Amino acid sequence: MSGRVLLHVGTPKTGTSYLQDVLFRNRAQLEPQGIRYAADRFDAHFLAALDLMRLTWGGLETQAVGAWDRLAASVREWDGTSIISHEILSTASPTQVARALESFGGAEVHLVLSVRDLVRQIPAEWQENVKHRSLVSYARFLEIIADPGRDTRIGSWFWGAQEIPDILDRWGSSLPPSHVHVVTVPPPGAPRDELWRRFSRTFGLDGLDLDLTPERANPSLGVPETALLRLVNKRVVPIVDPPDYRPLVRELLAHQTLSRRTDSARLGLPPEKHAWAQDLSRAWGEEITRRGYDVVGDVADLVGPPPGDFVDPDTAPADELLPAALDAISALLVEGSRLRAVEAELHRELDEARAALERSYLRPSYRLREKAVHSLETSAPGRGALGVYRRLRGRSSRSA
Amino acid sequence: MSDSRAWGWVAHLRDGGSTPWAEWLTAGDRPWSVERPRSVERPRSVERSRDHEPTARVLPGAQQLELLRRVNAGSRGRLADGLADRILSAAAPGRGKPDLALAGAGPEPAWGPRPVDPAELPAHELTRVATSVLADDVVGLGVPEVTSPRARLWRRRYRLLGDPLVAAELRADLIARGRPPGGRRPTVLVLAGPYDRLLADTWSRRCFERSSTGWPEWLRFWRERDALPTRVDLVRAAQPWAARHAEVCVVTDPARLPRLLGVRSLPQVDTPGADVAELGRRIATVLGLLVPKEDRAALMSQTLWPRIPRTTTPPVVVPPEHRDWLAAQAERQVRLLRRAGYAVAGDLSDLAPGPAQREAGEAAGDLDAAVLELAVRMLADPSWKHTVWMRKEER
Repeated sequence: MSGRVLLHVGTPKTGTSYLQDVLFRNRAQLEPQGIRYAADRFDAHFLAALDLMRLTWGGLETQAVGAWDRLAASVREWDGTSIISHEILSTASPTQVARALESFGGAEVHLVLSVRDLVRQIPAEWQENVKHRSLVSYARFLEIIADPGRDTRIGSWFWGAQEIPDILDRWGSSLPPSHVHVVTVPPPGAPRDELWRRFSRTFGLDGLDLDLTPERANPSLGVPETALLRLVNKRVVPIVDPPDYRPLVRELLAHQTLSRRTDSARLGLPPEKHAWAQDLSRAWGEEITRRGYDVVGDVADLVGPPPGDFVDPDTAPADELLPAALDAISALLVEGSRLRAVEAELHRELDEARAALERSYLRPSYRLREKAVHSLETSAPGRGALGVYRRLRGRSSRSA
Repeated sequence: MSDSRAWGWVAHLRDGGSTPWAEWLTAGDRPWSVERPRSVERPRSVERSRDHEPTARVLPGAQQLELLRRVNAGSRGRLADGLADRILSAAAPGRGKPDLALAGAGPEPAWGPRPVDPAELPAHELTRVATSVLADDVVGLGVPEVTSPRARLWRRRYRLLGDPLVAAELRADLIARGRPPGGRRPTVLVLAGPYDRLLADTWSRRCFERSSTGWPEWLRFWRERDALPTRVDLVRAAQPWAARHAEVCVVTDPARLPRLLGVRSLPQVDTPGADVAELGRRIATVLGLLVPKEDRAALMSQTLWPRIPRTTTPPVVVPPEHRDWLAAQAERQVRLLRRAGYAVAGDLSDLAPGPAQREAGEAAGDLDAAVLELAVRMLADPSWKHTVWMRKEER
């Protein structure tokens, strides 16, 4: 088979979670239309990306064994259009890119990169870092990403996932420019569904009857909420392992509780960084135009909004953190109550199982069998007979 | 300078060369000589140009190239078949620097990370690549099939708790001698010792089971929780057995173990060097991406642990800032163990952590260098794959 693959490799914070959610929930509707989104779970393509890039992710990587090869096999066997989407693919090295492209066999590869201006991406990336256990202040984060040496983990990851011309070099250098589709995120104030319309056009979803209800998103936080989360991180990161942090802090506190506080100040860039970010974005826009890619939207979208009021999250006063902190405590107490109810229910089930076991022990036939086993174990011939019986029965009831 | 010089360096490294990139770049157009093994019926030395046509779609990263150069230097140019290609195409696992370009190999790119002189790359970046190749090697070796002898009828019934490193080694040795743990009414032996060693052993063992955070982070985790790792919380480990009326004995004197287990001698179990444990930890992390969880534990504990070369680097040491906390934890354990009234082979006061020692590879850079040296040694000389580490001393 040699179909077509639309390979969406990022960038992060460009509406990717929503797109992936729509594709996942509508995969049964898409297949009859010749479009395959091969995923048995919502994060299947994330796991495939971890596998391709040998990337660790707080233990999640152990669920990713062989995931890329399975995904690539599914692409190879489908003669229609396959869609692969995950934003961490943006950081793949040239060698990993070569392996990925080769794994699709003869399929026609189209690269899709959704991009947003740095003015909004920089604060969003810091927020993502905080939601992934980072303790780094906003000021330090800005310092790190401005260092051209990119010697830190944060710096090299940020540019690996955000430097648009470099991502397009790594992923698109072997593809004709017409097979490289750059989708720009509309500027603030654009119609709410404009980004979806751009995605829909790029992925060939126009005219299909899809359920577009947002079920899963990666919502942003306000300034005091992010500042609070960083303070929480300072206390809990050393003592809460990633598998517990993910559901309790990232999901429960950040996504389900703090992100609902939509009235608080939004995070932006400090004035001294604003012009720098816009200049860089302009240069990237010119490079995209020069290379002749298919642009869905407008490269001018990359310049970003003008400077606004800047609220510094590193100096957020305690009284602004308090309401968010109270919401967080409430959410954790409610979750604690729910878990106590689950625990009580499990105890009840365990007690019932124990009682049933006790009742079976009390049967005369059980006591007779137990007595027989004990007496057989006291002599060598008895033990031999017992061994033969157990082997014949074929069950591992031998002593541990 | 075009990138043909860089492709020439790739060819040189594939041929077993170990010239550093900076030297290669500045050597002008003088040809270089390839030394061939004596058995090949061709001239022993062949001259080659320093430039070469591209042999792949992309130039390998500086990390992969520098690692291959160091492995070549360590093996004197005699690498296992296919190893050079495996190193050059290896993904650097985990987060770190992306694959980097060689400084001077072409015009400075307008985008992406700065090209580097590979000789200046930090050791841990080269180790990242090495662990990827070594993890593949471990998967290739598979889990050895162990056929345990028939259990002796007249053996002492036992269970081993406590120090997980010592318990695992002794258990394996006893099983191999027809003395598996378990059985009716076993004596429960709680392997104890100074708490600084118990923690070092627990972390080191964990590195060869299912990966771990680094030693400083792991220690901090327990310190901040003001708790001991489950396996060396001796009170909690012994309590369920005591509740079942089993005979529990806390052993702080290893010399008394053979008698308690009904054998004449037992192997001496040493905590591995900090570099050995750290390399194991990093390989385990990569293995998590290659095989299911349960296979990783078996590959780490049964395949890599008995084979990984031992070094003279001292084991990890509990740093001074954690010693008061650890001493308090040890005191609490002693108090509760005494209160429980368990038999003791030795002296419970031995649980107190020993005097502060200098930490192995006190500077993180020293340890990184030692870990890389060990990884390079394992790639350059694959004899470790076929050498099960022998326990020489016996108690």
